[in-house]
Amino acid sequence: MDDYRLRQRKQIFGVYWGNFGLPLIFVILVAVFSITNPNFATSYNILNNLSFASYVGIAAIGMTFVIMTGNFDISIGSMLALVAVLGSSFAPKIGGVAGVISTLLISCFLGFINGIFVTKLRIPAFITTLGMLFVFRALAFIYTNNAPVYISDRFWLYLGNGKLFGIVPFPVLLMGICYVIAYLLLRKSPVGRYIIAVGTNSKAAALSGINVDNIKILVFTLLGLFVGISAVVNSANLGSANPGLMGQNYEFQVITAVVLGGTALSGGNGSLGGALVAALIITFLDNGLGLLQVNSYWQQVATGLVMIFAVSLNKLKFYLLGQGEF
Amino acid sequence: MKRYVKITVIAALCLAMVITLSFIGCKKEEAEEGGMQVKTFENAGDITIGFSVWTMEFTFFQNVEKGVKDACEDLGFKYVMIDQNSDATKMVQDLNSFVGQGVSGIVVTPVDPGAIGPAVENARMAGIPVVCADIGKSGPVNALMISNNFKGGELAAEFLASKINDTSKPLGLGNLLPQWTYARQRGEGFLSKALELGYNVAANIIVQNPSAEGGYDTMQQILSAVPDVAGVYFTSGREAVGAAQAIQAAGKDIWSVGYNGDPEEFQAIKDGVLDATILQEPYYIGYRSVEILKEILLDGKFYENVEVPVDVKLITPENIDDIAAEILEKTGNSAFPAE
Repeated sequence: MDDYRLRQRKQIFGVYWGNFGLPLIFVILVAVFSITNPNFATSYNILNNLSFASYVGIAAIGMTFVIMTGNFDISIGSMLALVAVLGSSFAPKIGGVAGVISTLLISCFLGFINGIFVTKLRIPAFITTLGMLFVFRALAFIYTNNAPVYISDRFWLYLGNGKLFGIVPFPVLLMGICYVIAYLLLRKSPVGRYIIAVGTNSKAAALSGINVDNIKILVFTLLGLFVGISAVVNSANLGSANPGLMGQNYEFQVITAVVLGGTALSGGNGSLGGALVAALIITFLDNGLGLLQVNSYWQQVATGLVMIFAVSLNKLKFYLLGQGEF
Repeated sequence: MKRYVKITVIAALCLAMVITLSFIGCKKEEAEEGGMQVKTFENAGDITIGFSVWTMEFTFFQNVEKGVKDACEDLGFKYVMIDQNSDATKMVQDLNSFVGQGVSGIVVTPVDPGAIGPAVENARMAGIPVVCADIGKSGPVNALMISNNFKGGELAAEFLASKINDTSKPLGLGNLLPQWTYARQRGEGFLSKALELGYNVAANIIVQNPSAEGGYDTMQQILSAVPDVAGVYFTSGREAVGAAQAIQAAGKDIWSVGYNGDPEEFQAIKDGVLDATILQEPYYIGYRSVEILKEILLDGKFYENVEVPVDVKLITPENIDDIAAEILEKTGNSAFPAE
């Protein structure tokens, strides 16, 4: 009986820890930086950080979907650069709004291509997206002849630098909307259930009538869409789209946010909220250490250690829930 | 399914409405804000300079940083520094963060000069002057301190011409990627002077991989394209050392010149692998950038989109020891690689 109660308490604590562990780490970080540097907790700095967290945060939604199906995509950094240079070069000819729409359509198409290779040609996601990483980057170089595309369209620039009612940076609003839509898709629609089913056991999902290939193609296409949104916001922040410099190590940052957020690389289990909090932790940690004038090498050490700590706490959740060893 | 289509359409319409309304609001707000007045000071002690550096991994930027820091100390300014870690997005985030911290002036060596425009505009709207210390600029910067890259290219061509002394012999150029607008002038100066002196630059190849390996590969391409090449000029330091090693490996007698004055180049010249290089003055670039901010912030001097050229020097085996001693005295750093 005692054992049963102990197990039950561990499970309850595990559930709470799973839901609030990562946000707790975020709150502690913010509290520590606020105490140690008066410039950290200003509304300007907080909104600036939230705005830049969208760079990783928006694409992390799509990557969560893809990883939940047991796949991943390492071509997104190059995809970001390619769609940014293409869309921003179209904008002066077809207008900012059409330029943004064309960017999103192209990025959906590139994600769709990745999905086709993975499902119909049965090429592993790692090999497909590794190959595409080179193809997309090279196409960006070829298209621009290695020169950056400068953005002057006011609408495009507004999407990265504008403020809603002069207060809320537009990327923050956009990230919020993306997360709400993604949440509804994942938790309140049949598509979300199919994604979870495919990631948990694709054979069982196929036997229950789910078209596994279509779901996988869909998640790769959705990832393309979110990368396209990030490409627009990021190029607007930078005022230009650089084929060589944009999206460097982007895939690493996004996958880190997703894994740190509690999504299992093996698929099935995923957390959108976790990915968002992880993206915030990465951005705020970087900013807070910078404000404290911590040497950049020590910053990398601290960032690595915080990430290992956060992931080990995630393991603690599974242990408490009786789903693994600690 | 119909329900989800309906929700999606409504959500898309709401999003479009929010964007349109806030975009219109933004236009009005910008129109009201007006110019870019600089906030001036009376006491040096009230001034804080923010320095955003490309990366502290390379000696060039370490010397720029030392110049900025020393100038701040000498002029009585407070100093904060953030490393961009070679990431353009982080660079923009850091520049915005400086605005939030309320620094008085900003010095930046941008990893992507094309990407600083909106961040510079943001700082200027807050009354903070911005000086780019080398690399390049975009947006309404007050000044750009930039090496006289064109002259550097000319010096390299003159050096090769003086050594080869035969206009029938072809030359080669290991050039930079087109995105480095200012640094590309190193190649343009070389091509212009070589033409003026009657030489043919038979191979002009971009080093796709900016590293010693990239220089080595490009030199092999030049050797394949122009087997009788008599002299080569590589427009960046590590690439030039890689190219000189490729020449040595091929057992050819070809004159080679680099650009930057990196420690690897100093060592390669000392070892007789590389024949010469063009030296930039990063310490001076950093120091002078802060002096310009002092002129703006304390003296009220007007700087708007001013390009300040910084002189470059030719280093050869004949003058290398004198210049190395000069660098050590000015910056406290050895011009040669650390033991």
